[in-house]
Amino acid sequence: MRRYLARKLIIYVVTFFVAATIDWLLPRMVPGNPVSLLLAKMNLQPQTYNATYSLYMKAFGFNRPWWDQYLNFWRALLHGNLGVSIYDFPKPVTSVIADYVLFTLALLIPAILLAYFAGNKVGAMAARRKSLDNTVLPVGYLLTATAYPWLALLLAFLFAAGGIGHFFPISGGFSYGLIPAWNWAFMWSLITHWFLPFLTLFLVAFGGWAIGMRNLIIYELESDYTHYLEALGAPSKLVRRYAYRNAMLPQLTGLALQLGVIVGGAVVTEVTFAYPGLGYLIFQAVGNDDYFLLQGIFMFIIVGVLVANFIIDIIYVLVDPRTRVGISGA
Amino acid sequence: MFIHKRKMAVGFVVAVAAASLMLPLLSVGASGAPRHASDTVLSFPRNETVYTSGVAYSAPTAWNPMNLGNIATGTQGLLYETLFLYNPITNGYIPWLAKSGTWTNASTYTIVLRNGIKWSNGSAFTSADVAYTIMLAKTNPAVPYSNLGPFIASVTTPDAATVVVHFSSAAYTQWQNFLWHNPIVNKAIWSGMSAADQVTGANATPIGTGPMLLNAANDQEVAYSTNPNWWGIKDLGLSFKFKYLVDIVNGSNNVELGQLLEGNIDISNNFLPGIASLVSSPAATGQLNATGGYGILTYYPKAPYMLSANTVWLEPNMTLAPMNNLNFRKAVAYAINPAQIASVIYDNLVDPANPTGLLPNLNPFISKSVLKQYGFSYNPKLAKQFLKASSYKGQNITIQDPVGWTDWNTATQVIVQDLAAVGIKATAFFPEYAAREANLTDGTYDFALDNNAGPSSNPWSYFDRVFQLPILKKQTAQLNWERDNNPAAWALVQKLGTIPSTNVAASQAIYAQLEQIELSTLPEIPLWYNGAWAQYNTTYWKDYPVSTNAKDQYTPVMWGGWLGNMTTVLALAQLKPVG
Amino acid sequence: MTVVGHEGDLGTDEPVPVDKAPVDSTGEALTAKKRFEFLYFAVRNKKLLIGLSVVVLFALVALLGPLFVKHSMLAYGPPFRPPSAAYWFGTNYFGQDVFAEFVYGLRESLFVGLLGGCGATVIGMTFGFLAGYKGGMIDEALNVLCNVLLTIPGLVLLILIAGFLHHTSAVIEGLLIAGTTWTWAMRAIRAQTFSLVSRDFVGLAKLSGEKSRSIIVREIAPNMSSYLFLVFILLFGGAILVAASFDFLGLGPSNGMSLGIMMEQAADWSALPLHLWWWFVPPGAAITCVVGGLYFANVGLDEVFNPKLREL
Repeated sequence: MRRYLARKLIIYVVTFFVAATIDWLLPRMVPGNPVSLLLAKMNLQPQTYNATYSLYMKAFGFNRPWWDQYLNFWRALLHGNLGVSIYDFPKPVTSVIADYVLFTLALLIPAILLAYFAGNKVGAMAARRKSLDNTVLPVGYLLTATAYPWLALLLAFLFAAGGIGHFFPISGGFSYGLIPAWNWAFMWSLITHWFLPFLTLFLVAFGGWAIGMRNLIIYELESDYTHYLEALGAPSKLVRRYAYRNAMLPQLTGLALQLGVIVGGAVVTEVTFAYPGLGYLIFQAVGNDDYFLLQGIFMFIIVGVLVANFIIDIIYVLVDPRTRVGISGA
Repeated sequence: MFIHKRKMAVGFVVAVAAASLMLPLLSVGASGAPRHASDTVLSFPRNETVYTSGVAYSAPTAWNPMNLGNIATGTQGLLYETLFLYNPITNGYIPWLAKSGTWTNASTYTIVLRNGIKWSNGSAFTSADVAYTIMLAKTNPAVPYSNLGPFIASVTTPDAATVVVHFSSAAYTQWQNFLWHNPIVNKAIWSGMSAADQVTGANATPIGTGPMLLNAANDQEVAYSTNPNWWGIKDLGLSFKFKYLVDIVNGSNNVELGQLLEGNIDISNNFLPGIASLVSSPAATGQLNATGGYGILTYYPKAPYMLSANTVWLEPNMTLAPMNNLNFRKAVAYAINPAQIASVIYDNLVDPANPTGLLPNLNPFISKSVLKQYGFSYNPKLAKQFLKASSYKGQNITIQDPVGWTDWNTATQVIVQDLAAVGIKATAFFPEYAAREANLTDGTYDFALDNNAGPSSNPWSYFDRVFQLPILKKQTAQLNWERDNNPAAWALVQKLGTIPSTNVAASQAIYAQLEQIELSTLPEIPLWYNGAWAQYNTTYWKDYPVSTNAKDQYTPVMWGGWLGNMTTVLALAQLKPVG
Repeated sequence: MTVVGHEGDLGTDEPVPVDKAPVDSTGEALTAKKRFEFLYFAVRNKKLLIGLSVVVLFALVALLGPLFVKHSMLAYGPPFRPPSAAYWFGTNYFGQDVFAEFVYGLRESLFVGLLGGCGATVIGMTFGFLAGYKGGMIDEALNVLCNVLLTIPGLVLLILIAGFLHHTSAVIEGLLIAGTTWTWAMRAIRAQTFSLVSRDFVGLAKLSGEKSRSIIVREIAPNMSSYLFLVFILLFGGAILVAASFDFLGLGPSNGMSLGIMMEQAADWSALPLHLWWWFVPPGAAITCVVGGLYFANVGLDEVFNPKLREL
C-alpha cells in the first residue's frame, strides 16, 4: 500500500513539473505582447509611449532572458508568489485568484459530490428495476450527451430570462446592491446566483455517473462470482451489495479522470452566467494575454486536480483490499 | 451497521456540499474588498443608488488618474477633475476647477482657480497642485501628457488661486487639449511617490476634488458615495439626488441587456444588440409584445438613438500592394455600403460616417466644397471602374479585427460580401485582440477595422492620427497605422499646433486643405460612427440626458474620457428619483 | 472490460480480467461465422437501431440539407421572425435564415467531430499498443505523458493553444481536439493490450520471430477490433461536445458556421432577452441527439459484441 501511494506521488510530482513547464511556456508562445495591449487602451503619444513601455516591461520582467524568466518563475512559485495581474493590474495574481477560486469551489465541490453520489445511487437502482431503467437509461444518455453551453443557455432562458419565468438572476455571483458580509441577504443572494450554474454542471455529470453505475452493476451481476454466490444461495441483497462495492472502484477512477472534464464544463458555464469563478477568469485572462494570471490559474487548477486525485487514491486504497497487497499499474 | 455507515456518508457529502456553497463568504473583509468610507452599509438602498455599467471589463483595482488604461470607472470625473470640461453637443467649454483661463500673451497662459475647493482629505486645493501637475509633463516622461514637456518653460504661482504657464514655443492645440483632458492631482501625495507609482500605482485610497468618494470595491463592482463637501454644490448649485453610484463590471453584452431589462442597471453604456427594437417598438418582435414596453430610453428617441462617439474606419496598409494603389483604395471605398451595416448589424443604432470621418460635432470644420468635390459614396459601378484602373490582380486580401468583437466581426462579413460583389477577393480574419494589435503596429496586415479616433473639440488630433510622421518600424502609439508617408500633410498638421485657437480663419483654411488631401488620397476609408452607447432604465430614476431636453443636453456615457472630460457629471446631477 | 457511456469506466488502471475482454475465447480473429452472428444480433438490438437511425438522420440532414435551404445563409431578410413556412427555423437578429445556418453548422460540427474522433483513436491506439506491448520505459514515459494531459483540463489547454495559433480552421480544430482527448483511450487500449500480450497466440507469434509492429497489427489489433470501434464511437461523440464548447467560447473557425458558433452568436446577440429561442435551441438539440445517438448505438454494439449481455 505504501509502495502504491509512493509510486503515485512520484508520478504526481513529475506531472506537476511538466505541467508547470507547459504552463510557463504556452502563454509565452501566444503572439502579442501584453504590455503593448495594456498600453493600447491608454492611447498614448509616441513620446510618452516608450517611457511607459519600458516601465511596464521592467515591472513585469519581460526584458530578462527567457531562462532567467523561467528560473524566476520557479523561485517565485515556490515562494507562493505568482506575479502581478495585467487584467487586474496592479493586483497580485494570488489575491485575484483568491477572490475567484472560492466561487469556483462553491460551484464545483457540490456539483461533483452530489452528482457523483446521486448518479451512483440512481444508476444502481436502475440496474435492479427494469421500470426505472427504462427512464434512467435514455435520460442519462441524453444528459451526458448534452453540450454544457446549450444546457446553460437553456436553463438561463427558461428560468432567468423569462422563457418560463424570472425565478433566478441571469448573471453574476451575487446581487449588485450587496456588499459581501455575513448576513442572510447576502447568503440568499449567493444561493440564487449559484443555483443555475450548479444545476448545469450537476445535470450533465449526473447523467454520466448514473449510466456508468448502471452498466457496471449489470456487468457485475453477470459475472462468474455473482453466479457462484447465487448458486450458493446468498440473498440477492448481499449479491447486489458486492456488485455495488465492486462497481465503485472503476467509478472512483472515473471520478479522478472526470475532474478535468468538469473543470472544462465549469469554464463554459461560468462564462455563460458571468459567474465570477476561475473559469470566467481564465477566459478573461486569455483575452487579455495576462501571462501571470493564466499561469496562476493553471497552477491552481493543476494542484487542485492533483490533490483531488490523491484523495481519490487514498479512498481507492481504503475501499479496495487488493491494492493493499501491492498491485502494479500506475 | 453497514446501512448506518452509508447514511453517515450521505450526510457528510451533503454537509460538505452545503458548506462549500458558502465559501465565497470567506472573502468578506479579505484583500479583495477594500472598504473606505466610514459608513458601514451592507447594501445600497435601491432608491438611493444609481447603477451604471458598460465601462469596466475587469475588476476595479486602481484609482490612479494618470493611468488611463486600467482604472476604476469614476476615477476621472467622480474623484479627480480637470480644469475645464468640454461639451461635444454644443461644442463649448465649461470652466470647472478653473474659473477662467486666458492667453495673456503669445507665450503665457494664465489660469485662475475657483475659491474654496478642498481635497477630500480636507486640505485646500491650490495653485501649487495645478503647477505641480503641469510640471509632471517635464519631470516624468511617462505621464500621458508628457508631449507638452518640451514646450513648457516654467510655471509660476503668484497666489494660491493663480497659475501662470510660460511656454518656450507655441503648442496651442496640445495645451488646449490638456486643459480639459488631464485631471489635477494632489501635490503632497504625488510628490511622495516614485516615478513609476505616479503613473502606474494603484492609488487605492484616492484623494480627489470630485463630487463622490470611494466607498467600496469588489470583483463585481465599484461603489461611490456622494461627497457632501464638493465645491460644485455651492459654486454651481449642482447636487446629486442619489447617495450611491455603483458601477458594475461587464459580463457580456447579452448578460448586460438582461440586467438592464430587469432594472438592475440604470445606465448602460454598452452596445446592446436589439435595444432599438426594445425602445422604438416592442411589438417588432412577437415575444416582446406580450410584456409590453420595458421603460428603456436612449439619447435620441429614434434612429440613430445614440450620439456618435468615434469613427470606425477601414485602415489600408499602404506599404503593401494592392493597398498602396490609390485606384484600388477608391474601388474599396466605393464598393462598401455602410448604410447596410448600420441597418442590418446595428439595427440603425449608428450613422454611416461622413467621408472625412470627422465626428458630427466637428461639422463646422468640414469644408462643404471640398466634400462635394472629393467625397465618395456607395457606388458598385464606379468601384468596378476604379478596380479596372488599379493594380489589383485578383489576389486575396484579408480584413482583420479582434475576435469576439461581435458587431465588427459581423460587419466584416458584410464588407467581404460587398467587396466580392465588385470583384475583390477578401477574407475576414479575427485574431486575438493582442495579436491584431501587434499586426497593426508591425504593419503586417492588409486591411483592418479600427476606431481609435475619439471625440475632440477640433479636428487636430484626428489629422494628427492620420498623418503623423515619421513612420516607425513599430507604430506603437496607434498613430498613422496605415503608414501613409505624406510630408506635406504632416507639415500642415504641425503648423496647426502653432496657430492660436482664436485665429479661426487661418485654422479653417488648413483644415480644408487636410480634408482635401485626405479625401483625394484615401489613407483611411471612414465607414460609420460607433455610438456613444447609452440606454437607461426608467424604473427608479428619471430625467436622463436625452436629445429632447431642450436646454441642458449633456453626454450620457460613463466612459473615462466622457465622465472625466465632458459633461456626464452634469447629466448625473439632473437625475431624479421616480416617485 | 466494458465500454460504457462515459469515459470514466474505460480509464481504469485495473488489469483487465481476461474473461471480460470481448475477444474470442480461442484467441482467433473473428471468423465469417462469427460476423454473421453479430449481424443477426445487431439487427435485433433496439438500442443500436434507435441510436444508429438518429445519427444517420442527422448525417442525411447535413448531406442533403442544402437542397432544402431556401435562403442563402448570408442573405439578410426580416429579423426576429419565429419559425414559419417561409423560415423553418425562423430568422436571427440579422434576419438570416436559421435553418440555413443549422444545415451548414451541422456539417461542420460533424466533420470536426469525425476528424477529432478519428485522430484521437489513432493516437490512442498507437500509444496504447506501444505502451501495452513494449512495457518498460516506453510504457512509463507514455504513462507520464498521459497523466500530464489528464491533469490539465483539456478545454483549458485548448483555449490556450487556440490563442497561440490564433487562426483556427475546422481541420486544425479537429486535430487539436484529437491531440487533447486521446488519453483515456490510450489507457484503455493499453490495459487491453496487456491482457492480450500474455495470451498464447501472441507468445507464439513472438517465438516465431515476428516483428513487434506486425504482431500488433496482425495479432493484437484484430482481436480487439470491435473494442476499438466502440472506443472510436465514444471519441467521436466526445469530440462533437468539446468542439461545441470550444466554438461557444468564440475560439472556433472565424470564417465558418458550426452548431457551437450558432449558440455563441445567439448568446452574443441578445437571443435570451429578446426570446429568440429558435436561434439556440436547434443547434444544441442536434448535438444532444447526435451524441446521444452515438452513445446509444455504442451500448447496443457492446451488447452485440458481448454475448453475456445479449439476454438483457
